[in-house]
Amino acid sequence: MNNPDKEKPIDYDPIFLNSRREAIVIFTIWLVCLVWAVPYCYYFGYVGSFDSANFSTFLGIPSWLFWGIALPWLLADIVTTWFCFCYMQDDDVGVADDELPLKSDATSESGEDA
Amino acid sequence: MMINSLFQTPLLAEGSNIALATFGLYTLAVFVLAALSNRLLSKRSFLSEYFLGSRGLGVWAFALTFAATSASGGSFTGFPSKIYSHGWVLGLWIGSYMVVPICAMGLLGKRINQVARLSGAITVPDILRDRYNNAAFGILSVGLIVFFMSFNLVAQFKAGTLILQTLLQDVTYFHDAAALLSPTTSSIGWFDGVTPEYLLCLFAFGAAVIVYTTYGGFHAVVWTDVMQGVVMVVGVLFMLPLAIYLCGGLNKATDTMAKMTPPTPTVANVSIGNPANKRLTNGDWILWTDSAGSDRLFKVIDVKAAAVGDELVKDIQLLEIETDSDRERVLKEESKKIRRDVSLEEVRPEPYASGAESKGSYVTGPGPHRTKSDGFLPLSLAFSFFFMWAISGAGQPSSMVRLMAFKNSTTLRRAIFTVAIYYSAIYFPLVIIFCCSRVLMPGMDLESDRIMPAMAVYLTSKIGAGWLAGLLIAAPFAAVMSTVDSFLLMISSALVRDIYQRNINPDANEKTIKLACYAVTLLVGTAAMLGAVNPPEFLQDIIVYVGSGLAACFLGPIVYSLYWPRSNFQGAIGGMLGGFSAHFGMYVAGAIMNDSFFDPYRLFNFDPIIVGLFASFVIGFVITLLTPPPPRAIVEKYFARRPNQSEA
Repeated sequence: MNNPDKEKPIDYDPIFLNSRREAIVIFTIWLVCLVWAVPYCYYFGYVGSFDSANFSTFLGIPSWLFWGIALPWLLADIVTTWFCFCYMQDDDVGVADDELPLKSDATSESGEDA
Repeated sequence: MMINSLFQTPLLAEGSNIALATFGLYTLAVFVLAALSNRLLSKRSFLSEYFLGSRGLGVWAFALTFAATSASGGSFTGFPSKIYSHGWVLGLWIGSYMVVPICAMGLLGKRINQVARLSGAITVPDILRDRYNNAAFGILSVGLIVFFMSFNLVAQFKAGTLILQTLLQDVTYFHDAAALLSPTTSSIGWFDGVTPEYLLCLFAFGAAVIVYTTYGGFHAVVWTDVMQGVVMVVGVLFMLPLAIYLCGGLNKATDTMAKMTPPTPTVANVSIGNPANKRLTNGDWILWTDSAGSDRLFKVIDVKAAAVGDELVKDIQLLEIETDSDRERVLKEESKKIRRDVSLEEVRPEPYASGAESKGSYVTGPGPHRTKSDGFLPLSLAFSFFFMWAISGAGQPSSMVRLMAFKNSTTLRRAIFTVAIYYSAIYFPLVIIFCCSRVLMPGMDLESDRIMPAMAVYLTSKIGAGWLAGLLIAAPFAAVMSTVDSFLLMISSALVRDIYQRNINPDANEKTIKLACYAVTLLVGTAAMLGAVNPPEFLQDIIVYVGSGLAACFLGPIVYSLYWPRSNFQGAIGGMLGGFSAHFGMYVAGAIMNDSFFDPYRLFNFDPIIVGLFASFVIGFVITLLTPPPPRAIVEKYFARRPNQSEA
């Protein structure tokens, strides 16, 4: 006999859906950084024969590294800040059995670190 | 190999006493933290508390334990050495750290934490076993963790020991104690070829880490990580302005580097003018006029068995300085060490394979390299490393355990932000500091493994605060310590929880479990410490092999387990074994083709981690689709909405 429950599509857990969506965004951020940083540094920083007249720095850092890594690093920090405080959902991750207070110490403190 | 020479040259004359005090304070502090942690063990579920801190980590504890464990000793030993040797291109090499926090913590963090709570998992094998309802998978995971981490534990013990030896090398009490130990060690065959100084440091370092980890468990590890994380960032932020200031500004430092050409490693016979008065020693400089009338400057790297009275010493390893600014600095600052009474014969230069005699190699890619003709960081490796740090960083079981331990989503969000700022304050500044060291401390190319302590001493002595050097050198020591304690607990948890409790004695009472935890942590730590008495040579290579191997094995199966409801145990096991085999295969091929296991074969010039991860994900995907879907009950348990949940 067929169990009708088995044929029902699963109503997915919102934490799973949120986490998966956030993971895709994170992977995209990584990909954008990769696509910018490595080709940029390679194109401008890997010179066959060095010519000091064409070599430039920005704030003391070789220009190719500043625009290829240092500035994107700063932007990545800004994007990370946006992701953490504006995009990522505050989902309830639940409570494990082992988090319940022991019978002998039901009144002890909550156990959170700083 | 990377830090073998850390202790070879006296560095810390001024900072030695404070170095000893630093270690003493460290030891005291970690024991206090362990005692406090142990008190918590009696109040909560023992296993969850001992191995996971009762899933209660707050923002600072979670952020700093994650950052400190990931940093490891390599960040403060191998990385500075590479910056010194290859220049600004290390900024690209480490570039993906701009997204490491968000990737390593955010890709899996929330979901793995939730799944661990749903299943009651305490360890990574726990999660795999429960998610796939397959005991064999749990045991396979344990086997791989123990295999990889045992090697790494031995390597990290050696790293910690060498750094401690550097810290203490000028402390009189230390040498007195080593001398007392010497008769005992010389009579034991196991200690052949090992110096009593090394043994003493190994036992001191080992005892401290093993005792506080065993006694305090996860919370002791986390709290010491927090302390060690603070030490690391303070050390870097102190060195940064000092290094730039002493170079006369970063612009000037980079301009100077742009005019540099790599020095030339050279082997020569040395004829000593007046050997009775002054023997030649490592670190001496030789100013010699050759037959063409040119003044040439060499640093003595390895004088081997030269003795007082020798007139001719054969096959001495030297380093010839080729850059004018370096020569001027050495002649000005090292004048007391310059020998003009020696001459060279049979000079045999061994120029760099990439970058020799060409200016600009330290400020452009791919960076100079002594043996590789395509330079330090060819394009394919630049891609590999951008991939490796961010993506494979997410696949480390030691990081996953921390992701299982934070208290709630708010903690995760704030911790990702905190670690992003923390890494920004450490990694790019390290590139700047040790590019400056290239300008300030010429001639360390063949002994760059000790550039970190050498730079610390140089900077602090220049401002008349040599005593600070000990505190700065504490940063790499802290990094190694925080890695060792985490790995120790990982192995211990795998054996007690995943093997003993879940397979041998599921009904074991708490007292038995507690004893087993203490005993196994103690035994594993002691075994690793004894393994480090005669440790393998290729320290840094082992660390790289283990880190990439663990990611190749675990990242694919964990990602599938968390994000793919269709994923089944056949596919996950296939992905794990496929990743292991492909990664291991690259190293075996390297052993056959390059005569060294640690010089792996690079398919299409990519690092083995790329091959391993690709194989793991593809094999896992294909096998999953070829085999039946998992039972619906499992899918519902881990993927279905619970009755009291609202819409996403």
